[in-house]
Amino acid sequence: MTWRRTLLIVALLTPGLGVILVMIGSVFYVAVMQSFGYYNLVGEDSFSLEHWQKVLDSKQFSRALSYSAYIAVVAAIGSVILAYPIAIWLRRPFRGSLVISALLKAPLFVPGLVASFLFLNVIAFHGIVNQLLMWIGATDAPIRLQNDRGAWGVVFLQLWKNLPFALLLLTGAVQSISDEVLDAARDLGAGSFDRFRKVIAPLTVQAMQASLIIIFIGAAGDFAFQVTAGPTNVQSMAQYMVFLKDSFGRWNQAAVVGVSLMGLALFGSLVLAVLARVVLRGGARW
Amino acid sequence: MTALRSIDVSKVFEDGFTALSGINLSVEPGEFVTLLGPSGCGKTTLLKIFAGFYAPTTGRIEQNGADVTNAPPEKRDTAMCFQSYALFPHLSVAENVEFGPKQNKVPKDDRVKRVNELLRQVDLEANRDKLPNKLSGGQQQRVALTRALAMRPSVVLFDEPLSNLDAKLREQVRREIRSLQREFGFTAIYVTHDQSEALAMSDRVVVMNGGKVEQIGDPEEVYQRPETAFVADFIGSANLLPFERVDDHTVDTPLGRFTVDDPPVADSRFLCWRPEAADYGVSEGENVVASDISERAYQGAYTDVHIAVPGAPDQRLHWPGSASSMSDRVTFRLPPDRIRFVRGELG
Repeated sequence: MTWRRTLLIVALLTPGLGVILVMIGSVFYVAVMQSFGYYNLVGEDSFSLEHWQKVLDSKQFSRALSYSAYIAVVAAIGSVILAYPIAIWLRRPFRGSLVISALLKAPLFVPGLVASFLFLNVIAFHGIVNQLLMWIGATDAPIRLQNDRGAWGVVFLQLWKNLPFALLLLTGAVQSISDEVLDAARDLGAGSFDRFRKVIAPLTVQAMQASLIIIFIGAAGDFAFQVTAGPTNVQSMAQYMVFLKDSFGRWNQAAVVGVSLMGLALFGSLVLAVLARVVLRGGARW
Repeated sequence: MTALRSIDVSKVFEDGFTALSGINLSVEPGEFVTLLGPSGCGKTTLLKIFAGFYAPTTGRIEQNGADVTNAPPEKRDTAMCFQSYALFPHLSVAENVEFGPKQNKVPKDDRVKRVNELLRQVDLEANRDKLPNKLSGGQQQRVALTRALAMRPSVVLFDEPLSNLDAKLREQVRREIRSLQREFGFTAIYVTHDQSEALAMSDRVVVMNGGKVEQIGDPEEVYQRPETAFVADFIGSANLLPFERVDDHTVDTPLGRFTVDDPPVADSRFLCWRPEAADYGVSEGENVVASDISERAYQGAYTDVHIAVPGAPDQRLHWPGSASSMSDRVTFRLPPDRIRFVRGELG
């Protein structure tokens, strides 16, 4: 390859790759450096592990880390589990399938904070859920459903918001499997579940991995759902990061949480991707 | 006992399209039967009804005397070879072949032995660990057939299995399929629109048109003694002439008066003769035709000659020689025993 050609390729890639490398790379660099005592907003810059030590020693941090990991895993796996049967159902067009598909994807167009606000209204003391519970006699008085300690509200919102995304990826992947391949599996004795386990899932594992990774990363870094509908006894990583920065101006410790969040996103998505591959393809042929 | 039988089977799809009507067909054990017809004639629909992918709208399917009309594909003693091979792209050749026996809970030792034996028989041992996309079309077709055979079904259903192969490979795989069928002794139902494939492979040919059976017979029978204008025209080339009966063994046609061995029956509509049936070098006597040549096309083994006759357009001859050895006029004789009468309409 001549240097002119190399230069041309670099020039063509610069607008896309350059933005990623410069913008995201610089943010990542500053966050990492800040977590080690550099880029201080006030005071002297100097290398220090003190911020990491303080954060890692904090019980609040370990709770936030495990809570965010839990929400992210449940959101990622739950969305994929719910999306698969719908994707298979919508695999071949039928009367009304376009409308159903459009309706299922509608949550993609609703911002998370708006969804959270609407959800709060639905489960509020005066909301329709409580009205329904009272009407059917399940309860005499409205019960507190908001900011539940089990984080069911957040899980629900995560699934509601991420299911359409998983559906988008999985529908395309499932549709790309030919009828004849599925008929062949059936002809060879595979029932519905075996057709899914031995043919559909392995052939759509890449779309599944993409769904798991992207949903995991988004849910691990959730702020909007957590601050509006999340439990008050535990913070998510993003919430804790903002809390450190806003409440005490501890930018360095907030940076530690931020870097840890990125680490969680990277580690968690890797684990999910590997698990999906190993479970569905027996680890063979990467 | 018949291996597979359809009794008065019809299929009407949800959009109202009638794909099959009144199909009665019995296939004997070990027989190689071909369903032959143009696109949309219903042959694949019938095959899928035999496989269990479609339920007939009316009628019944019996396998070895048992009613299997409502049995799903996974519960039938049939295996299918698909047009696109339908190999599992994520599984190796050996895993593809093992898929069926594994599903049917064949013990591991038997399974492995069966797969190894089959792969050796079809000369695919060296490719056992390859993924299907690393194989040629012919090899993929062999894997598909081996995968079907690994189920040890009593009936193998072939849905145009050679249509994606080039002409030379098609002939080779065709011979392989036939020899495997003889070796394993399974019953085969083979769908194709290629009449030469049907004639070369089959014990019996079922010619279908518009969702109905036009004729069932052995290859020679359907070729030499077509019963309908459609069969005559679809299988090979045929010259069809309107005729007027003079007596039991004499008819008048636009080509002249002909003496025939087999008399026309009441519903006979056309006189039919094959382009290769003509005798050349005879210029006098009964059934002799002399005509101008309108078109000629050299085909290698023969020259395809079109003759222009008022009232009988597009009559063809296979002249056994090169185009350059012909004059502008041809004289030939139609032997009475090579003339047939067919019923039905022209396509």
